[in-house]
Amino acid sequence: MEVKICLIGMGNVGTSFLKLLNEKRENIADKFNFTTKLIAIFEYDGALINDNGIDIVHLFSDSSNLRENQYWKSNVKAQDLISTLDIDVCIETTPTNPDTGEPALSHILEALHNKIDVISSNKAPFYLQYNTIKNLASETGCLVKYEATVASGVPALSIKNSLIGNTISRIRAILTGTNNYILSRMTAEGISFSVALKEAQELGYAETDPSLDIDGYDSAGKLVIVSNTLLGWSKSIEDVSIKGISDITPHALELAKLDGYVIKHLAIAENDKLVVEPRLVKRDSSLNVQGTLNVVELQTKFAGAIIILGKGAGGYEAGAAILNDLISITNERIKKNEK
Amino acid sequence: MIYLEVKLPDIPGSLIELIRPISQYGGNIYGILHHHDKKINNMIPVDIWFELSEELVQVSLENIKKDLINKNIQINKISVGSKNKVLTFIITGHVFDTDITDTIKRLDSKNIKVLDLHAKFTEVDEISSVMMKVEFPDVMKKFELINEIEKICKEKNLFLIRS
Repeated sequence: MEVKICLIGMGNVGTSFLKLLNEKRENIADKFNFTTKLIAIFEYDGALINDNGIDIVHLFSDSSNLRENQYWKSNVKAQDLISTLDIDVCIETTPTNPDTGEPALSHILEALHNKIDVISSNKAPFYLQYNTIKNLASETGCLVKYEATVASGVPALSIKNSLIGNTISRIRAILTGTNNYILSRMTAEGISFSVALKEAQELGYAETDPSLDIDGYDSAGKLVIVSNTLLGWSKSIEDVSIKGISDITPHALELAKLDGYVIKHLAIAENDKLVVEPRLVKRDSSLNVQGTLNVVELQTKFAGAIIILGKGAGGYEAGAAILNDLISITNERIKKNEK
Repeated sequence: MIYLEVKLPDIPGSLIELIRPISQYGGNIYGILHHHDKKINNMIPVDIWFELSEELVQVSLENIKKDLINKNIQINKISVGSKNKVLTFIITGHVFDTDITDTIKRLDSKNIKVLDLHAKFTEVDEISSVMMKVEFPDVMKKFELINEIEKICKEKNLFLIRS
């Protein structure tokens, strides 16, 4: 089987995905019995479109020539051209506005309207318009996967398939590596929030404007996605009670230690409520992870607490999650065709 | 958790007389609160919280009561509460400027007893952090307790970090 794909957004995540796809191409063909053909790459100022397939190897041997390639078309938008492409899966990795979800939201909806399966690494469309996307996908018979939106390469969403016979009663998670790094450093060194933040920025863990992370908005968005997916809820980011970490003092962390606690920025889904706030966590808790790690704890009825832990950010981590989604979608399509 | 309410004469050494039998019979003291503001006839109401291991509770409690009666310490109330109804939290902000005694009294008025309290601050009028361990009644749900604490924190502009 041949799967025709298009990629919208060739930044760090999109590039990492293509490199992984190229690297694992033979392995995928052998193990999963399908090949891929890259039909289009959309950028902010144009697109590379070739119905016969873009040569990925060539692309990386001379990537600076993307815009000098004979198939490059300037000033065209994905939104306008998706309907004209003969593709099976649209992979969406554009930089997106956290308040509107655009342009990713429009790309996703346009693809679904045209009966094209979608994979996205963009959180905002899913924490703002989860129901709209899911309903449209259901109407058009399309598959939508978005593993990379939460904890990147950590399979926080696809674990659902392994827990179908179980019941998840609560989710507690650390979903923003930046915040966990800052709190870990404050706890270990007794430094202030502002010093730890500056250190995180210098190391590239925090953005120049870190407010989305430290104010809890990033975690809240991810919490909406993970709870809607795993618990079957229909929440949006407006339903989350959010507190950030900037009010945490070294004194508070010292006090917590006295009683065997640490302070962690937790995202919690329980009793139909979504909360993101700093909480006291016992030092020996599985939620007491260090540095930029992400962790998701699922409290289940029949297996107790299930912990998933790993790197929650990075181009290759997200790229691997997208590749996983692509294999998963194709497997589902192959099974349906076999029926 | 065992909650004991007594009246002690306001003289040096009387607290030791209260603590000695509790300690002697295996009690682990969590907190003591003197109500100096409620002193009548030189007698001060004192609340004390302590824990006894399950196998010791019955015997030790009887021995403690006997000893206190022998020492002429007036017992007003003694109750054995659930071990699960304890919550630790930290509040940061102007905890002292906004009258920490008032905070404790308001919790107390809702039957939320402060068992343990630790504070960190540089100067009294600077931002401070206080950790409290509170015990709350069996009938009170955890979210009701949180609501009470949050209400005070919101009014006093304090930042709450709970377990």
